[in-house]
Amino acid sequence: MLPAVVLAAGISLYPILYAIYLSLFRTRYLEKVAFVGLGNYRQLWADPAAWQNLIHSLQYVFGSLAVVLPFGLGVAILLNQRIRYRSIFRTLVVLPWVVSQTILALLWGWLLNPDFGPAMYLLQVLGAGKFSPLSDVRFALPTMIGVNAWGSYPMAVILLLAALQTIPGELVEASRVDGASRWQYFLRIMLPLIRPTLMVTTIMLSLLYFNMVTLVLILTGGGPSQTTEVLSLRALKEGFDFWRVGYAATLGIVIFVFNIIFSLLYLRLLREEGVR
Amino acid sequence: MSRILVYGLLFCVVALALLPILWGLSTALKTKGEVVTYPPRWVPRPPTLRNFAAVLRETSMPRYFANSLLIGLCTVGVTLLVAAHAGYALARFTFPGKQVLAFGILATAMIPGISVLVPLYALASKVKLYDGYSILVIVCSAWQVPTTMWLLKGFFEAVPRELDESALIDGCSRWSAFYRVILPLSRPGLAAAALLTFIFVWNDFLIAFTLTVSNSRRVIAVGLYQYISQYGIEWGELMAAVVLALLPVMALFLALQRHFISGLTAGAMKG
Repeated sequence: MLPAVVLAAGISLYPILYAIYLSLFRTRYLEKVAFVGLGNYRQLWADPAAWQNLIHSLQYVFGSLAVVLPFGLGVAILLNQRIRYRSIFRTLVVLPWVVSQTILALLWGWLLNPDFGPAMYLLQVLGAGKFSPLSDVRFALPTMIGVNAWGSYPMAVILLLAALQTIPGELVEASRVDGASRWQYFLRIMLPLIRPTLMVTTIMLSLLYFNMVTLVLILTGGGPSQTTEVLSLRALKEGFDFWRVGYAATLGIVIFVFNIIFSLLYLRLLREEGVR
Repeated sequence: MSRILVYGLLFCVVALALLPILWGLSTALKTKGEVVTYPPRWVPRPPTLRNFAAVLRETSMPRYFANSLLIGLCTVGVTLLVAAHAGYALARFTFPGKQVLAFGILATAMIPGISVLVPLYALASKVKLYDGYSILVIVCSAWQVPTTMWLLKGFFEAVPRELDESALIDGCSRWSAFYRVILPLSRPGLAAAALLTFIFVWNDFLIAFTLTVSNSRRVIAVGLYQYISQYGIEWGELMAAVVLALLPVMALFLALQRHFISGLTAGAMKG
């Protein structure tokens, strides 16, 4: 027990406290120059770029959720049908789960390559002009959401399928006997039953998306003209490109607070569901 | 739902999941000239292993692979050692402050990595572990221990108490009851935990990117990233490196996916 406590305290708890401490200072490299109290937070509040970063983050989170949740649920329902070779299908379908964010970015960067990528070729065959989705300010963020969705839908499928499999088969039959349509079964029986899992999935994915750095850094680096620079990428850049350590710590704390807000919000919703 | 529709849709999803990966593989097997043909060709004619040879002979990729493997194995060892004992304590003992400790440790898993990278960097430089293997192992383990502990606790609790009690009556100590009875029975849980931890390390970019700097310490993900920023992109070779990086995790996943699924769902249902 003790080693676990030490590790958790030393590598997670202490750093977050240290981050709070650092965020109260003006820094030069790792040296604390002057205590500024909440100065960094005030500066952040007045920083229009940071607000842009936050908006991008939220667009990224909710955009990805809007793609991944319905798609993941659909695939989970497909896999829950009585089919042959189910385990083979399931394995292949969730395979993108093992693809790391680094590889995700490299692979899709190449697929979407405007000159030689098959994705762009397909678009051109369909009649679109030649363009580079990742360097176009209008398309960069939606494209990144699409790539992210490809990399993260397996998580939703795995969790939702596990929940679907706990629904007893008799329920389907009973609802059919009672004359319920498929659609009614889906809305009135299946959705309420898997709601808790749906909620947990939503929380996990939201946090994953909100804190995501690697994919964004490698795929676009925040560009073009900062249209894909999310809050977490900004924190990394402030810390390790510009070495504004105090400011980076401030951003980190703000991100942490958002994580807490996300979780509490969803948990609250979940609990209200339970009461009803 | 009609059978044909279900199978049709599933095939589409499988295609969606596999085609990007297959495109990478196809590119890796192409010659330099064929990589940049337009319209793109899916099947290389003729396929060549030259890109793989180039990656393995002319770049530092093999070194990065070895680094990732070493750090991955060490992290799995440390994580399992720490998390198994903690999980056992939570599953079988009562002691004051247990609930607080358990949730306190689990709560640290909620701290986003990006929020603590700067302090970790400062900490690592202060204790002179920056740019070493050990700091990567320590940080990776610390991030994996809370969820792993929780996962294993669940598996330990599933072992009936009568079993360790009868082992105690038979003269086993608490320790040997744990090592001889409970651990072997929880092998699926240990396997799941080990796999998830290894994949986490193998796929990690951020920790290594921020806490190491020298070429000899570089792990596979960072190596791939440097590759695109350093040499200008040679897509054939890059995709060969990607395929090589993907192969081990994919093989593990295909061979042992049952454990993955149980680990993932157990981890997610913790709340």
